[in-house]
Amino acid sequence: MGLLNILRMFRKADRQVRILFLGLDNAGKTTALQSLADEQIDNITPTQGFNVKTVRHANYQLHVWDIGGQRTIRPYWRNYFGNTDALVYVIDAADERRLEESGLELNSLLEEEKLAGLPMLVFANKQDLAGAQTPDAIATSLHLNAIRDRPWHIQPCSAKTGEGLQEGMEWLVRQVH
Amino acid sequence: MPLKRFLLRYFPPGIILEYYDEQGLLGTKTVDLLDLSESTDVEAVADQIIHEVSDLITQSKKSQLVRLLRKLIEKQEMGNADASFYLFKRLKAHILPLTNCAFNKAGDRFITGSYDRTCKVWETQSGRELLTLEGHKNVVYCLAFNNPYGDKIITGSFDKTCKVWNSYTGELYHTLRGHTAEIVCLSFNPQSTIIATGAMDNTARLWDVETGMELCALIGHTGEVVSLSFNTTGDRIVTGSFDFTCKIWNVETGQCLQSLEEHHAEISCALFNFTGNLVASSSIDRSCKLWDVDTGRCVHTLKGHNDEILHCSFNMTGSLLATASSDSTIRVYNVYNGECVAVLVGHEGDVSKLQFNPQGTRLISASTDRTCRVWSIEPAACLQILEGHTDEIFSCAFNYEGDVIITASKDNTCRIWKSAHCTSLPNTE
Repeated sequence: MGLLNILRMFRKADRQVRILFLGLDNAGKTTALQSLADEQIDNITPTQGFNVKTVRHANYQLHVWDIGGQRTIRPYWRNYFGNTDALVYVIDAADERRLEESGLELNSLLEEEKLAGLPMLVFANKQDLAGAQTPDAIATSLHLNAIRDRPWHIQPCSAKTGEGLQEGMEWLVRQVH
Repeated sequence: MPLKRFLLRYFPPGIILEYYDEQGLLGTKTVDLLDLSESTDVEAVADQIIHEVSDLITQSKKSQLVRLLRKLIEKQEMGNADASFYLFKRLKAHILPLTNCAFNKAGDRFITGSYDRTCKVWETQSGRELLTLEGHKNVVYCLAFNNPYGDKIITGSFDKTCKVWNSYTGELYHTLRGHTAEIVCLSFNPQSTIIATGAMDNTARLWDVETGMELCALIGHTGEVVSLSFNTTGDRIVTGSFDFTCKIWNVETGQCLQSLEEHHAEISCALFNFTGNLVASSSIDRSCKLWDVDTGRCVHTLKGHNDEILHCSFNMTGSLLATASSDSTIRVYNVYNGECVAVLVGHEGDVSKLQFNPQGTRLISASTDRTCRVWSIEPAACLQILEGHTDEIFSCAFNYEGDVIITASKDNTCRIWKSAHCTSLPNTE
């Protein structure tokens, strides 16, 4: 990719959508990205920085930024807020213990000025695991229904099997279009 | 006029004469010796120099001059030494990916920038972290020492500011505010009195080092300014933009002198050669062009790459230009006739950065394939693959002697690679 291509992906352009994947560590952001890009998903290690890939979706080029979610590097999520068209928040739907923490991070994102009004897709990931909560249950516990200042949508998916990912991106691209 | 002393400039080779003028003031005259090599007739060159600067030196200095020329040649020939590099230190440099890295002239210190919003100063010899420069509110993308002095550092950030630091104490001298988008390229002028910054706001700006005040904005590009370079004398600057053009500006007045408009896609890199009569531009359109600075005309279009060109670099004397491409190859061109003299094949991903060693005999390249490679130009061959980084390498640099390499990676580490024959760093082991 090189640093120069990172700068090229900053620019707003026709038929290109800049998308930010955020969420707690182990939510499955990198797996979702690799799965969308039709790449191998074994051997994925915690992201200590970012991954960025350009994936085709219908007539669009999606520049997808997957940002590491470990607690110590979450303060640096803001580095990426300036040049994005849409937000994808990934949640491990099978990890009930961390749902509250995930909700807190989500709330602070929704208060970010630079992200104001941007469409937000929530992936309720890991639906392939037993005990994964339904989108409705997650929407309720995170009070998503109270969001009024942006279009949002919650999509059940499995980054591992790929199920639900395309549907989610379809919704997102429609919002930006 | 009485000569005070000779000074040597190793790279590119030259001799600087210090003298007292009629008023008794110290003056300097530089004799460039860009073609110096092992086959040079040293006696003849000495005679020629004496002839050219007969007001400063006489035949009596010839033997001294010959000695100096031999010393210069010896320095150039060290670039052909059959030396391999070994991993000297692996530095867990930052908590997030690195962006760029740079040496000071002595090579005893270097700097790294990072997504963690800091710039760090390192001691090459020990791998010790000397300073952390904190204060930017976003990614530190580009940075530079004010070489040859090395007492200041500038950092350009996605936070739209550039900061000027004392390189020894870490004291912040100035925060340069004015750009309205990310700063992505910068440079000191050779005299270290002016700073140039280029940004995603389509402008470049010139700043006074001492006061931190903006001197002028270079306005005219209609796309992001991603590359800039001063000429050797510091009176011209060239900017390369995503608007497909390069522009040459008068540094003193801020006036645009030439607009170089023949590329069909974004410019990735724009540079002056050492002499300052040519500009090289590389582009996403897969070509590289050489331009006559005075007329603004394209003198050579360098073709051959099958994909975007991401970076280009002159050797120190300006006789060769190397280009790095997404087609995973590097090409080296003869600047005088535009002919491709080497195609360097081996990388397994985009090649995004290049640098010649000071002697112009070797090249290093950084790639998305996680390796940095050391190449010889003649014959065209890969000498070594520097492996170990676990993610792509964004930046690489030689020290001034050409015997130490640093690589900065997206894997958050920096590695120091040392030549087996390294003389510039004493052995510590």
